[in-house]
Amino acid sequence: MIITNNLTKMYGDFTALDKLELSVKKGDIYCLLGANGAGKTTAINLLLGFIAPSSGSAFINQLNVQENPLETKRFLAYIPENLMLYPSLSAVENLDYFSGIGGKSLNKSQLEGFLEEAGLQSEAFHKRIESFSKGMRQKVGIAIALAKDAKVLLLDEPTSGLDPKASNEFGLLLHKLRSKGVATLMATHDLFRAKEVGTHIGIMNNGVLKQELVASDISLAALEQAYLNTMNYKEATL
Amino acid sequence: MISKTFFKETKELLREGRVRISIVIVLLLLGIAVWISAKQYENTNDRYAAAKTTERAVWDGQGAENPHSAAHFGTYAFKPKYPLSLVDQGVDKYAGTSIFLEAHNRNDAQFSAAADQTGLARFGDLTPDFILLFIIPLLIILLGYNSLTKEREMGTLALLKSQGISFWKMILGKWTALFMPILIITVVLFLIAGMVLSSLEDYGVFSWSALLVMCLIYIVYYAVFTNLVLIISALTQKSGVSLVISLSVWIIACLATPKMATNIANKQHPYPTAQEFAVDIAKDKEKGLDGHNHWSEESKKLEQDVLAEYGVDSLSQLPFNFDGYRMQKGEEHAAEVYFKHYKLLKDQYEKQTNVYQSLAVLSPYLPTRFMSMAVAHTDYGAHWDFSDSAENYRVAAQKFLNDHFAENSSYGDWEWQADADFWQELPPFEYEPRTLQSTLQTHQGNLGIMGGWLLLSFGGLFLTSKRF
Repeated sequence: MIITNNLTKMYGDFTALDKLELSVKKGDIYCLLGANGAGKTTAINLLLGFIAPSSGSAFINQLNVQENPLETKRFLAYIPENLMLYPSLSAVENLDYFSGIGGKSLNKSQLEGFLEEAGLQSEAFHKRIESFSKGMRQKVGIAIALAKDAKVLLLDEPTSGLDPKASNEFGLLLHKLRSKGVATLMATHDLFRAKEVGTHIGIMNNGVLKQELVASDISLAALEQAYLNTMNYKEATL
Repeated sequence: MISKTFFKETKELLREGRVRISIVIVLLLLGIAVWISAKQYENTNDRYAAAKTTERAVWDGQGAENPHSAAHFGTYAFKPKYPLSLVDQGVDKYAGTSIFLEAHNRNDAQFSAAADQTGLARFGDLTPDFILLFIIPLLIILLGYNSLTKEREMGTLALLKSQGISFWKMILGKWTALFMPILIITVVLFLIAGMVLSSLEDYGVFSWSALLVMCLIYIVYYAVFTNLVLIISALTQKSGVSLVISLSVWIIACLATPKMATNIANKQHPYPTAQEFAVDIAKDKEKGLDGHNHWSEESKKLEQDVLAEYGVDSLSQLPFNFDGYRMQKGEEHAAEVYFKHYKLLKDQYEKQTNVYQSLAVLSPYLPTRFMSMAVAHTDYGAHWDFSDSAENYRVAAQKFLNDHFAENSSYGDWEWQADADFWQELPPFEYEPRTLQSTLQTHQGNLGIMGGWLLLSFGGLFLTSKRF
């Protein structure tokens, strides 16, 4: 569902992303770990077609992102670190608008159904977004993905700033989407959440994908060590 | 997508306090302005009808009189107040309302409303045209300056992009949402104006087609402003910057350019001062026949020519009173002089109008203002038309009086008097303003410029949507 071939992005002499080779299959949750500036967000922006690659190519559902910018977006949903919605509109109205411009025309009960499926409490359906917490907004974002019937989900630090309960709920939602066959690429700093929800984990540093791991084959401690080694940190001592 | 965006934007606008307050204030101002103008219109119309009737009664009731004395006694031509002046008062306030019609002289219009006002009039009047031309564009800015910048600032742009949105469709949805309240306000205002005017007795030249044309002129003006505000909002990163630039455009378009255009037009094609104008006319009049001066060269020549033409030896042998004949010839000479000098003024007016039109590329305000005033019959063109019509009537009235004197009295008999009921035979002054069609033909240039503004601003908006 998501494939990158030698995907590279340069800003002048600075290489933000260097020959990224990635494959995320149907039902996979691929977590990209890395420090700030590692190239995770650049990779996601390239997959979204927000920026053009310097070389290489990116594919969503076998369509080249550069050549088919609008068509590829029909298959994907995107949740940024800080999902911002229209504050004066309710959750239902936001979902109606975003699913509407994505080409879906849904009735009220369908809209409420998607919000319920995304885990939003029913009393919040018709409240204005301005009163929502980040976790609640992320749930509306998931509802947008569900309503769109997205095949690919691109997440950029979605759990950053969420409390553990909200973060856990978000992880459960990703599992639900996985069971529907959605391919998810999630950029995150959160090793614990990556281990918990990911099927595959990639560790990036300085724009390079240094290491790929299968989440079930590695413990959290081993993942942490692998991460630190990749970052060239000395072993942490207390 | 267009309708989804339209409904979403409309909901957002209606839920924002600043928008609700702004719309209420504008509607309130419009209501007050229409009410004040309607009252003024009714008062002026009543005064016009009363003055016209009274003046005619004075003319008809002057009793037995020598026709030339009656010509000096004179009468007035009153400028009617037109129904659409309720919407656009134009230059009516400054142009004068009546012209004194007398022998030998063409007088300018006098008794302007501005002359009756105190210095406070400099602060301007609350009129519908002020709201339509200045305040509603401000409302468009207030509603639309952050229409696109907010998507960047709120962070919703990334989500919109990820949905594969077509930006020109999104902008068209936003355009519709921004334009719709303005369209509703404008249409409601014109409907109310139409209903008020058509319900008045003796509403003269009011026509729904003229009202519709005026309404369309303003709708195009607002469409251009809507386009400009959205282009600015799309090209700027911050709402504050967008607001400042939009307000600057408003200042340039609505305040600075009209003033600049006036200064340039006056500098390039100045009118003579009133004194110069009067002196030039007096000089030219002296060069020709003066009906009162028996001894001038021109009078003597006219005498000889007429005696030769009729084959008689003395003026008393002529089949008409030569005094009346000479008076009429003197009037014809004076009329030619006035025609020549007023034509020079009109030529300057035309040249100044061309300057305004050439500067209309800098501001959609200028062509809108000129077309609005023209359709309302409150522009200088309409005033000139009235003034020319009054002059034609004056010339015809003088001929009517001089001919009556010449045909019914004998040479040298200045004591002769026309019957007391003769004056009623002079047809009253009736003025028919230019038709809507002729007004639109005269303003083809302004119509073209507004069309250009509309097309270019839509083109600009479309190109901007590609870059957004």
